Amino acid sequence: MALLQISEPGQTAEPHQRRLAVGIDLGTTNSLVATVRSAEALTLADESGRHLLPSVVRYGVDAIEVGEAAIEHAVNDPSNTIVSVKRLMGRAAEDLISLGKSSPYTFSASDSSVPKIHTRSGDVSAVEVSAEILKTLKARAEATLGDELIGAVITVPAYFDDAQRQATKDAARLAGLNVLRLLNEPTAAAVAYGLASGQEGIIAIYDLGGGTFDISILRLRQGVFEVLATGGDSALGGDDFDHAIAEWILQQAGYEAVPGASLVRLLMREARSAKEQLATTESVDIAIETDDLKWQGALTQSQMRELIEPLINKTIIACRRALRDADVTAEEVLEVVMVGGSTRTQVVREKVGAFFKREPLVSIDPDKVVAVGAALQADVLAGNKPDDEMLLLDVIPLSLAIETMGGLAEKIVYRNTPIPVAKAQEFTTYKDGQTAMAVHVVQGERELVEDCRSLARFELRGFPPHVAGAARIRVTYQVDADGLLTVSAREVTSGVEASVDVKPSYGLTDSEIETMLRDSMDNASDDMHLRMLREQQVEAERVVEALDAALQTDGEQLLSAAERSNIDQARQQLVEVSAGDDSDAIKTAIKQVEGACEDYVARRMNSNIRNAMQGHSVDEYAGKDQE
Amino acid sequence: MVADILTCNFFELFDVPVAYELDFDQVQQRYRDLQKIVHPDKFVNASDQDKRLSMQQTSRINEAFNTLRQPVDRAIYLLKLKGVDTVQENSTTMDAAFLMEQIEMREALSEIHSAEDPLAELDRFSAQIKTSMQGLMQNFSECYAQEKLEKAQELIKKMQFMQKAGKEVNELSAKIEDELY
Repeated sequence: MALLQISEPGQTAEPHQRRLAVGIDLGTTNSLVATVRSAEALTLADESGRHLLPSVVRYGVDAIEVGEAAIEHAVNDPSNTIVSVKRLMGRAAEDLISLGKSSPYTFSASDSSVPKIHTRSGDVSAVEVSAEILKTLKARAEATLGDELIGAVITVPAYFDDAQRQATKDAARLAGLNVLRLLNEPTAAAVAYGLASGQEGIIAIYDLGGGTFDISILRLRQGVFEVLATGGDSALGGDDFDHAIAEWILQQAGYEAVPGASLVRLLMREARSAKEQLATTESVDIAIETDDLKWQGALTQSQMRELIEPLINKTIIACRRALRDADVTAEEVLEVVMVGGSTRTQVVREKVGAFFKREPLVSIDPDKVVAVGAALQADVLAGNKPDDEMLLLDVIPLSLAIETMGGLAEKIVYRNTPIPVAKAQEFTTYKDGQTAMAVHVVQGERELVEDCRSLARFELRGFPPHVAGAARIRVTYQVDADGLLTVSAREVTSGVEASVDVKPSYGLTDSEIETMLRDSMDNASDDMHLRMLREQQVEAERVVEALDAALQTDGEQLLSAAERSNIDQARQQLVEVSAGDDSDAIKTAIKQVEGACEDYVARRMNSNIRNAMQGHSVDEYAGKDQE
Repeated sequence: MVADILTCNFFELFDVPVAYELDFDQVQQRYRDLQKIVHPDKFVNASDQDKRLSMQQTSRINEAFNTLRQPVDRAIYLLKLKGVDTVQENSTTMDAAFLMEQIEMREALSEIHSAEDPLAELDRFSAQIKTSMQGLMQNFSECYAQEKLEKAQELIKKMQFMQKAGKEVNELSAKIEDELY
C-alpha cells in the first residue's frame, strides 16, 4: 500500500541523520523557537530577522494575524486582539472575572467549563489562541529547517498547576505539534547555563516573565539537573509592573472614571515603554494624548521603585521559601541566574542580588535562555545524542490532595516531590451500606478544599455495601514526567475500579479537541481518518522494529520456546493487519503484542539495569553485595 | 546483584545495608545512576508499553529515594520490613517528661509573636529541634540494631512530634516574614 512508502521524517532516516526537534518558549509577552544545529542551540528568526514573536493574536476581518502584525491593532481593536493569553490558560470563568477590571475581552457563556473570548471570528478559548502562536512558530521552524518536525519540547512556568499544564499540552496538540516533554522554564534555563559553564553545585534560577514568576533551586552533578525545590506565582510578572505604572498615570492625571479598553491598552503600552527606558536612564517623560485623557509628566527611577517594590518583595518571600524547602542556605547557592525580560529592571536585580548576597548572572540573554535550554533538551529527547549523560529530574510544584469529610484537603503527593511519582492512600466509607464514593481532586497548600484549586471530580460506584468503615477504597495519584496527573480509585475487597485523566474541570475534553482539529482541516473526515490510520501504522512499525531489535539481542536468553512462539504469532498478526487500512484493528493488534511481551519487557528492563550497574558494583559498591 | 525494581525493598534498590545509618552520598549516586537508565526521558521514542514500565519504575525509585532520605519515613519503613506497622499502632505510650517538654515548647511558640526578634528566636528553636532530632535518630539506630522494636516504635513517635514541631516553626517563620514585607 502506497501509504507505507511515505517517508516520515525520523522514521526511515539513516541512523546518523538528525531528527528535527525544537524547543518552544510559549511566553506571556513573547514566544520563541530554538533548535540545535551544528552542536549549538540557536533561536530561529522570522523572514525579517526577528527572533521574538510577540504573543499577540488578532482575529481580523479576513485572517488571523499573529505577532508584530497583530500588535499594531492592540489599541485600536482591543476586543479582537488578544494579548498575554498565557494568563488565561487553564483558568475557569470565575478566575477570569477576578483577574481584573481591565480585561478588554467579552467572555461568552459556553457549554463547556472553558471560558471563551468573544471575537469577530467567533468564540475562542485560551487554548485555541495559544495554538495560533504555536502554529506560527512551527511554520517558522519548518521553513527554516526545511523539513517536518518530529516533535517539540514546550516550556511552562514551574509553578503552573495541572490544569494550566494540560491546557498548554492541548494547545500544542491543536497546533499539530508532537510534545516530547513539557519542561519547566527555570529548569530549561538551568540547562542552558549549566551546559555552558560545566559547573557543579547548587544554583538558583530566578525567572520573572511577563505574567509569571518562578524560583527553582537545583543541584547540578554529573550531567544530572536535580530540582530540589520550586516556588513562585503563576499570576505575577512584568505585566503587573506595567499595570502599577498605568494606575499611577491615571492617578496623576486625576482620571477617576473606569478607563475603556483602548485607553487601558494605550496606558499599558506607555507604561511598558517607560519601564524599559528606566532600565538605562534616571527619568523618563510620558505624554498621553487621547480624546479621553491628556496628560504629560515624568516618571523617575525612584518613583517606579516605589510602585513595584511590593511586587518584587513577594518574589523574595518565594525565594526564601524555596530555599527552606530545598533545605539549603543562601550561602550554599553557587550562582543565581536571571531569566525573563522583567529581570532587566534594575530594582529586580538589586533586590535579588541583596537577598542571595551575590551578583546575579545575566550572561545569557534573559529573553532567549529558556528557548535555548528547551532546544537542548529536545535534541536529547529526539534521540540525536544517544550517549549524552544529561538528565533532568523535576518536581511537582504544588501539593495534590483529595477532599475528605468536612471539606478538608488531605495531601496525597506533597509539593517538591520528584516526578514521576505514584502515591496510593486508602479511604473508607462513613455510612452503613454505602456503595458509591465521590472523589474530588484538588491542588494547593491550604487546609480547606475551598482554598485549593479544584482539578477533577469523579465517582466510584457499584461496590458491595459494607458497614461504615469496612470498605477499603484505594485512591492512586500518578503524576507523569510532564507533571500531569491521572487518578484512579479501586475498592480493594471487590475490585471495582474507576479512573480519570485529570483534565475536564477547566481543560478541553478529547472530543472538543478532535472537533477543533477536524474544523481546522479542509477535507475533514477523510483527512482525519487517514491521519489516524497513519499514526497507528507508524506506531505499529515502531513496535515491530523495537521488538525485532530486542529479540535479536536477548530473545534467546530471556524467553522460553512457548513464550517466543506466542510473541512471534502476535507479531505476525500485527504485520499483516498494519498493511490494511483498519486503524482500530491495528490498535488491537498492537495491544496483543504488548500483552504477549509484558513479562519479556520487564525482564529486559531488569537485565539492562543489572548490566548497567555491574560496572559500578565492581568499584563504587564493592563489598555491599553480600547483604 | 540488582533485584527487580518494582518488588525489591528500598535498601536493596539502592544497594545499601538494611540499617538506619545510611551512606547518603552513595544513595544519591545510586539515585542518579538508576535514573539515567529508567527515566521516561530515555523512552521518549519507545513503545507505549516501555513508556509505562519506565514511569512505574521511576515512580518507585522516587518513592524509595524520598523514603530513605527522610529520617522519620526511613525509620517507619525499617519497622515495616520487620512487620511492624507504626502508622496503625496507636498503643505506644509516651513518657511524661517528653510530653512536658513538648507542651512547654508549644507554649513558647505561641508567644513568639511578642518576642523582640521573633525570627531569631525561631531560628534558635529550629536548631534545638535539629539537635533533639539527631539524638532520637541516634537512639533509634541503636534500638533497631539491637532488635528492641518496641522502644524503636516509641522513638518514632517522638520523632514524629519533633518533625511536626519543626514544620510549625517553619510555618510560623513564613507567616512572620509575610508580615515583615
